[in-house]
Amino acid sequence: MLTLICAVLLGAAPPVLAGDPATADRVVTTTADYTVPNIRLVRDDGTTVSLAEEMNDGRAVVLNFIFTTCSSFCPLSSQTFAQFQRKLGADRGRVHLMSISIDPEQDTPARLREYAHKYHAGPGWQHYTGTLEASRAAQRAFGAYQGDKMSHAPLTLVRSADGKSWRRIEGFVTPDELLSEYHQALASK
Amino acid sequence: MLRATVVGLLWFGLAVAVRAAAATASDPGAAIYLQGVLTTGEPLAGVREAGGPRVKGMDAACVNCHHRSGLGTTEGRVTIPPITGQYLFHPRSATRDDLALPYVQSAHGNRNPYTDATLARSIRQGIDSEGRPLGFLMPRFALGDADMAALIGYLKKLDSPQVPGVTATVLHFATIVTPDADPMKRSGMLDVLQHYFADKNAFPFGPSPPMRSSGKTLYSKSMYMANRRWQLHVWELTGPAAGWRAQLERHLAQEPVMAVVSGLGGSNWAPVHEFCEQERLPCLFPSVEVPVVARREFYSLYFSQGVLLEAGLLAGRIAAPAGSSPVAQSVDQVYRADDSGEPAARALVAALKVRGVAVHDHPIAAGAGETGLAEALHAAAAADVLVLWLRPSDLAMLGEVPVAPRAVFVSGLMGGLEGAPLPPAWRARTQLTYPFDLPDRRGVRVTYPLEWFSIRHIPVVAEQVQIDTYLACGLLAETLSHMADVFARDYLVERMEEMLEHRLMTGYYPRLTLAEGQRFASKGGYVVRFASAAGNLLLADSDWMVP
Repeated sequence: MLTLICAVLLGAAPPVLAGDPATADRVVTTTADYTVPNIRLVRDDGTTVSLAEEMNDGRAVVLNFIFTTCSSFCPLSSQTFAQFQRKLGADRGRVHLMSISIDPEQDTPARLREYAHKYHAGPGWQHYTGTLEASRAAQRAFGAYQGDKMSHAPLTLVRSADGKSWRRIEGFVTPDELLSEYHQALASK
Repeated sequence: MLRATVVGLLWFGLAVAVRAAAATASDPGAAIYLQGVLTTGEPLAGVREAGGPRVKGMDAACVNCHHRSGLGTTEGRVTIPPITGQYLFHPRSATRDDLALPYVQSAHGNRNPYTDATLARSIRQGIDSEGRPLGFLMPRFALGDADMAALIGYLKKLDSPQVPGVTATVLHFATIVTPDADPMKRSGMLDVLQHYFADKNAFPFGPSPPMRSSGKTLYSKSMYMANRRWQLHVWELTGPAAGWRAQLERHLAQEPVMAVVSGLGGSNWAPVHEFCEQERLPCLFPSVEVPVVARREFYSLYFSQGVLLEAGLLAGRIAAPAGSSPVAQSVDQVYRADDSGEPAARALVAALKVRGVAVHDHPIAAGAGETGLAEALHAAAAADVLVLWLRPSDLAMLGEVPVAPRAVFVSGLMGGLEGAPLPPAWRARTQLTYPFDLPDRRGVRVTYPLEWFSIRHIPVVAEQVQIDTYLACGLLAETLSHMADVFARDYLVERMEEMLEHRLMTGYYPRLTLAEGQRFASKGGYVVRFASAAGNLLLADSDWMVP
């Protein structure tokens, strides 16, 4: 019951992880298909890149949206990414972690590098900025646009390969749960 | 369980560095709350349920989520409740209307009051006063008894019964003018402020109705939710900057205010900035060409970085120009040594140095007049790129255009924007830095305040400064309406951070945003040129750029 209420409040379908009572009230996972928009972003190394090319390079993708001056739950999301990346072990090279800024004017590539360093981002985890329009287009494409950065919500998206559906995880996912999602996505590949 | 998730009770939060108040040295509770440092000097550490990430030190400090005011916030669907003493220990109420507390959206009403013991349990074990688990965001901390007592003592002290400048019927605000401020801009700014305050006070005030914690009385009574008069105090500073601090302290003692709104500076605003930080006095959007850029300050909010932003725009333009233009080999810049151009020039040197571009300075000594200008320009005549940090009076006196420079840039902010009185030959060669939205894109954001001025017969003598002033007043009014009857200075700044991005009427700026650690609301600008030898029409030579 709680799960259903939670799903209604969060505006999403009933959670896939409902079998685990420890997660049922915290995360809501659904499956969704998204069209990657034809936009260019600026990677944290200063290079202008195509979002589609960054996503479709053969690796699985784990995506979230953050801003570097967020003091509440973006740090939690980034900590989760960091631990998830460590837990990947030998699979680390097969997963591309992507964090797109929802405050791109503030989050310059230099600030993103500083942020990535703080969270010990490994080589397979990139942060992205760009124009405000490009950031909003990316957010809209993945159902993450809330109108402004102060209205954001915790969201993680997982896709095993180009052309596959996305696992949409709303709420505060833990590193172990994210790892489980990744393995499930791989299994259904 | 559900409520514990959607409405997370968070004592401690995550990263973002916040400058700790000096009080933390003598208040161990403040050190825990603001810095995540225990009485032993060890970092505060917390764990989350279900193997969630741990937090430590500053990343674990309460202030990250609950904010300096302790009044919490709402981010999307995540609500962070207030945790000052009165919100924790208030008696249980059946409805929010019965809750005798100032209105805060995220406050709990129907919950048993905490005791020191149940509060300690909640911090250590993540269980609220009725035994329900707190939200996932809220870590659990193994605080010792002494640290726990210090922290709870600090939470109780966060309730501030008497806010300076706030009475039952009046909200007092100040505006600050430094002696080196432009007299015309000063006149225009004060004219707008005085009319705005008069308008606010023209509303028919009765006695303030008691406001219930639900906010119902508030919303049903009027759109002017803070039913108090506004009173303006104009603090005009005199003499050298070394004496401003003492003057400001006297003003504040004699005329206690809740906040400073707008204000006008010349080339040195630092003493005012430092005063506001040390007095914990919000200083909201003064018109300042050279603001203090300090990453961890809290109380001073600015519309932009002024000439320092222009230096950043120029550095991006000169060192990495659009298209295939070659990077400049060297830059010569001219400025008056006692004006805003001096810190701007220093900023440009620093920004270009890291890009490998040499800069040659040609300062004009204080009081050197027209001769000094001519000498500086002569010395810079062979420049590859020429940058002028000059006022309209100097721009109007420019003589022959030197042949050598491939590009000439002028500070739009100092030079008068599209009204810069450049001689015709210079206009054809010059690009202006323009740290605002373009004139033809500002639309109603500017025409509305101009109409407001017109109806009140306010002469437009310094349009950008006056519209900034009107905007600062409007932002203050809107933020106060969000605050209902919670008149705390820290909360004013926090609510301003939260609501600013929603604002559509943003004057000269395309968009305004703030956040913890962000103190400059507009981040970018354009490089423009004049469309013709006469008139004020501008053409953008760049997209909106953010240095």
